[in-house]
Amino acid sequence: MLRRYRTVENLKVRECARALRIEDPFLASRLTAMGLLPGTLIEMIRRAPFGHTYYIKADGVRLALRKEEAQSILVDA
Amino acid sequence: MNAIQVPRMPNIALVGNPNSGKSTLFNLLTGLRQKTGNFPGVTVDIKKGRFRLPSGREVELTDLPGAYSLYPTSADERIVASVFSDPSDPNYPDVVVYVADVTHLEKHLLLLTQLLDLDLPILLALNMADAAETIGLKVNTVKLAEKLGIPVVLLSSRTGENVSKLLSEIEKLLEGNRPPHKGFYSLNEQEKNVSEAIRINAGTDNSYRSLLLAHHYSWLPKLPAPIRQTIGAIVFDKQFNSLKRQVDETLERYDRFTPIVQATVQFPPRFPSTITDRIDVVLTHRWFGPVIFALIMLLVFQAIYDWSSVPMDFIESSFGWLSSALKANLPEHWTTQLLTDGIVTGLSGILVFVPQIAILFFLITLLEEVGYMARVVFMFDRFMRRFGMGGRSMVSLISGGACAVPAIMSSRTIGNWKERLITILVTPFITCSARIPVYVILIGLVVPSKKILGFLSLQSLIFAGMYVLGIVAALGTGYVLKKIMRTRELSYLALELPVYRLPHWPNLWLTVWEKVSAFIFGAGRIILIISITLWGLASFGPGDSLPSAEVNARLEALSRQLSPEETENLVAAYQLEASYAGRIGKIFEPLIRPLGYDWKIGIALFTSFAAREVFAGTLAVLYQLGDAEKDITDADENETKATLRQRMQAEKFTDSGKPVYTLATALSLLVFYALAMQCASTLAVVRRETGSWKWPLLQFAFMTLMAYAGAWVVYNLFV
Repeated sequence: MLRRYRTVENLKVRECARALRIEDPFLASRLTAMGLLPGTLIEMIRRAPFGHTYYIKADGVRLALRKEEAQSILVDA
Repeated sequence: MNAIQVPRMPNIALVGNPNSGKSTLFNLLTGLRQKTGNFPGVTVDIKKGRFRLPSGREVELTDLPGAYSLYPTSADERIVASVFSDPSDPNYPDVVVYVADVTHLEKHLLLLTQLLDLDLPILLALNMADAAETIGLKVNTVKLAEKLGIPVVLLSSRTGENVSKLLSEIEKLLEGNRPPHKGFYSLNEQEKNVSEAIRINAGTDNSYRSLLLAHHYSWLPKLPAPIRQTIGAIVFDKQFNSLKRQVDETLERYDRFTPIVQATVQFPPRFPSTITDRIDVVLTHRWFGPVIFALIMLLVFQAIYDWSSVPMDFIESSFGWLSSALKANLPEHWTTQLLTDGIVTGLSGILVFVPQIAILFFLITLLEEVGYMARVVFMFDRFMRRFGMGGRSMVSLISGGACAVPAIMSSRTIGNWKERLITILVTPFITCSARIPVYVILIGLVVPSKKILGFLSLQSLIFAGMYVLGIVAALGTGYVLKKIMRTRELSYLALELPVYRLPHWPNLWLTVWEKVSAFIFGAGRIILIISITLWGLASFGPGDSLPSAEVNARLEALSRQLSPEETENLVAAYQLEASYAGRIGKIFEPLIRPLGYDWKIGIALFTSFAAREVFAGTLAVLYQLGDAEKDITDADENETKATLRQRMQAEKFTDSGKPVYTLATALSLLVFYALAMQCASTLAVVRRETGSWKWPLLQFAFMTLMAYAGAWVVYNLFV
């Protein structure tokens, strides 16, 4: 399948992008409640020691996301 | 439960997102007037306390778990959603105090707007006024109050600023003095249909609450089955897509309140948050992060071991002194023995733990308070997933180093049921503070106090090895359970990493006080009852078995020409063997003999199944009884510990005459205590958190089995 969008997982450290939408409905419910909405500016901060986990900033709020979660958030960059 | 119906005290609930400073406000308002809990008998799901309003009226305060929304993703959040879904819930509040972090107001209002639609007396407490001032953030509370249609108070739960204003606003709301209700969200066509159908069929009073039932009918605990079915049929009939509606509703709410925040809050030009970022560069660093974590854990370990030894020695020697003084001054009677050998020994066995428990909870709460635990969750999520758990399980496992009971309760933040269940099942393997004295006695008994490589003490090395054994057992069992259990439920991390803050000391002291008092009055009560019962069982026997045991002992002593002191020892030993406790121990002996234990250890094991910390006390009671004379003649009371050790070393099997406490026996006992489920409190809390007896029983079975097998292997390796 051709990937048309990049996701948070593809962001390099220090790279910023705006969230477009969250594909998984359950995660969408959780993340929107935490303030990560379409249009939110996301910055990749760093990867976790054992990998597969990401430290991001969404509109100034620091969040820890798993790989699957990061893959679920489509971004515009 | 109350036989007499008293007029119910008004119930005020604190609601808010995690990290809103809600618990600090709770502590500030209630102080020491909290219901301490988390041990059987005083178990509470939700923290409660009391405080007085300016008029002198006393009210109850409920601290509901932190939640982002009424659409829950964890057991913690479910508590909040279920309370507000049902006005007849005993925790349904008369007034809601919604706590929001004013410096992140745009992220903290979602849940408030949901509560606004439930039409209940509510006010907004804008917390962290002190932090807002520092960063130069200004908020127009009058305008905000007008837009939201509820009272707004800007306060600081840390400095206490404006808290009196909060109290008088609560009082006004309680008196029914509230602004007219303003709804926030307008239901769309489909939601209206569903809500209306539910209102007619389930008799709900409010359209948004009816909508909540449409979202939550499948899991709400108290919903009657017919209503559950009816709502299920409505949801199916109207093709109501819960998850999609949740997201759309949430976005709609943001669209409405974001302009309100922008119109009322004046943000500083640059959001200064660089301190947290700079700390995290080091603390969550790929390599430094885990190393620093290991160092912190070592420090905690060192603290329990080191800092507590002085107060522990003091407590032990004071009780030893008290016991001897009582024996010397009171007439020789069984009530004196009950007092000294039963009650005082038992009390000493409880209080001696207090320093360790206090230090452990202090340090773990400190890590939590400053915001470090969330970083641990972030760093170890991937690692823990290999063992069927998630990053959040780290919080439970670390807390398990103090006590499994609150550790298991902290698993409520884990959203995925399988991960949570595995965490609950393996947490009791982690070396808790109750195991420490058992280890100290046994290691001191058989491991020589020599140094390896000149500086490493062999004893502390084995001690550290016991911790490693606990961790390996927890992770290994997690790995096996991960392979066995199946789930299709989604697992997530999505965790907020809070800003680092200096610890708020009153919070820390209150938590430590709460845990220590829960231990003394909750677990301590059980230990004391067991000590007294045990003393009774060891001091009395069926019929005239005790007097006849004495006669037999004296005859044997005469024939062996023993000294008067040795004669008394022999009498005491024979009497103990003939007592109820001796008989019970003898019944167990064949079962535990393959592990290298005699019947006295059998009694200790038997009593330990309610609470493992009884082990030391049991041995003290048993060997004390076996040698009652010596204690009185002992000049130096500070040597009570040493004499218990000497007595244990002198202990021999009655049939073979070989010493009981060899290296093999002690190691076998160590492994047994490391792996066995010997804690009634933990079983009770597992029952409560999992909602059935199936899991605690399974846990008890596999832990005991592992303990027996492990102890047998170790004994046979070393014997």
